[in-house]
Amino acid sequence: MTPLIKLENAHKIYHLEGVDVPAVNGLSFTIHQGDFVALMGPSGSGKSTAMNLVGCLDVTTIGAIYLGNQNTKNLSESDLAQIRGKKIGFIFQTFNLIPSLTALENVALPMLFQQVSRRQRLQKARKLLEMVGLANRWQHLPNQLSGGQRQRVAIARALVNDPEIILADEPTGNLDTKTGNEIIKLLQELHKQGKTIILVTHNPELTKQATKVIQLRDGKVVGG
Amino acid sequence: MILDYLILALHSLRHRKLRSWLTVVGIIIGVAAIISLITVSRSLESTIQEQFEQFGANRILISAKGFQGPGTLSQSLTTKDVETIEKISGFEYVLPALFRNGEVKHRGETSFTLISGLPADSFEQFYADMGVELDQGRTIQEKEKYTAIIGSRVAKEMFSRDLSVGSKIIVNKGEFRVVGIVEEIGNAQDDNQITISLETAREIFNEPERVDTIIAQVKSTSDIPLLQEKIERELERKRRDTNFQVLTASQILEQINQVLGVMQVVLVGIAAISLLVGAIGIMNSMYTSVLERTKDIGIMKAIGARNSAISQIFLIESGLIGLGGGIMGVLLGTGLAFLLGSFSQQAGFLLIIKIEPMVLILGLLFAFVIGMVSGILPAYQASRLKPVDALRYE
Repeated sequence: MTPLIKLENAHKIYHLEGVDVPAVNGLSFTIHQGDFVALMGPSGSGKSTAMNLVGCLDVTTIGAIYLGNQNTKNLSESDLAQIRGKKIGFIFQTFNLIPSLTALENVALPMLFQQVSRRQRLQKARKLLEMVGLANRWQHLPNQLSGGQRQRVAIARALVNDPEIILADEPTGNLDTKTGNEIIKLLQELHKQGKTIILVTHNPELTKQATKVIQLRDGKVVGG
Repeated sequence: MILDYLILALHSLRHRKLRSWLTVVGIIIGVAAIISLITVSRSLESTIQEQFEQFGANRILISAKGFQGPGTLSQSLTTKDVETIEKISGFEYVLPALFRNGEVKHRGETSFTLISGLPADSFEQFYADMGVELDQGRTIQEKEKYTAIIGSRVAKEMFSRDLSVGSKIIVNKGEFRVVGIVEEIGNAQDDNQITISLETAREIFNEPERVDTIIAQVKSTSDIPLLQEKIERELERKRRDTNFQVLTASQILEQINQVLGVMQVVLVGIAAISLLVGAIGIMNSMYTSVLERTKDIGIMKAIGARNSAISQIFLIESGLIGLGGGIMGVLLGTGLAFLLGSFSQQAGFLLIIKIEPMVLILGLLFAFVIGMVSGILPAYQASRLKPVDALRYE
């Protein structure tokens, strides 16, 4: 079976004031359809960079990343945007909602970039807000919502284009334990529904749910 | 899709209300200045044109060189010159006119105004040709002396008591009886005029020979160039000098329009500078907006926005600032033009403001384009942001 995601000797090197700083240094791993992968490691281990590469937010300096059979290196910025929009749903530690848009508009926004009609967008966004338990909060702006509520809006937004992969970068990092657990439960729920989940975290507690753990240190896989 | 981007842009503009408004104000001022200045100067042009048409395209005016207006001194024309012109065929009539500033007294009050003298026997026809209508009374009759036709302002404003037909006024020591009052024309100079017969004017101003302007009414408009040439040739031959000028209405109009044209270029140039400043304001505001929303741009890119989508959103936003400023500027500019029109009318200058839809539409379009163009660079910069970098921006 072709893996969903495959990193082959991926390097990402930043040029900082004339010095080359490798953020990931020959990273190789595969993720299959339906996996719940925990990407672990202390800060500075390269997990954020790895996530950016997997999420097509960044490209490798050396090495290749395959999404299915597609080598992302050969894709234009526009193609990458298209892949991010269709195949990947992002959940960030700081929620990253657009402050000037309501919860509903935030959730509906990714569909706008996929040329979905306004009526369909609002319909689907409403349904997803309902699913994450925010049916009566759709008119609120992000700053009128609690942290947990914002993260639910972000999850609804991540799901709106039916992506294969959910990429969650420390999704509970800014939340209290109880709210964090609820978010993790939501992710588990999505996993059960067949989504591939990649959870970036430094909290070993959260890796219990994972079907696969990838440990990073100094930009390399060390275990899992 | 564009409509959705429009909504996004509106959201963003609303989110930074004050700054959006300040930017829009820059455009409003520029557009309002351009619209009002163009409207006023074009209205001025058409008002003058209309007055000239009323004055008559069938007329040739002969005056001494250097004669720049009523009352100024010049090497004068004389009755001999009138005779020279009368000998040329092709005219309906040839009128000598004398213009002087005169002292006008009424019941102990004194005022000064322009007195024009025209041959008594020509009033009827001349007024008909000029389209001058009398509000009260009648014109001066043949061989009549010491009667006067007064302008509407002379009747109503010159003295504390209104003048009417039959009132007595003293002009340069001669006593005149008012026989007619001209309907209001709308410009101060005409409305403040007192017209008397040439014969009496010669007596009270002691000018037996002199003529300030000769008005030659041609029979057929198509003869004007030919007759103009003939007049020039004959006068030169008889007078043995060239201290005179022969002007047709269209030439005078052309001269005025030339001056107006220069004025228009200068004024519109000044307005254009203010619009340019407004455009720089938009650009500045858009750059700030790009910087401010770097993170939003990163988010939008992460959830699938292409570069083109980002630049479109920003372009629409700057276009909206331009269009919004344009709409308000056009309204304000039109209002200003009307205000100027009514001020000038109060001050005694006839200025009929005409709104040209084409000018308004062009103003709007111009503002929109300026908005878009000022947004191009910031929009391009926004679209080129790398998603990773933009997301990391705080």
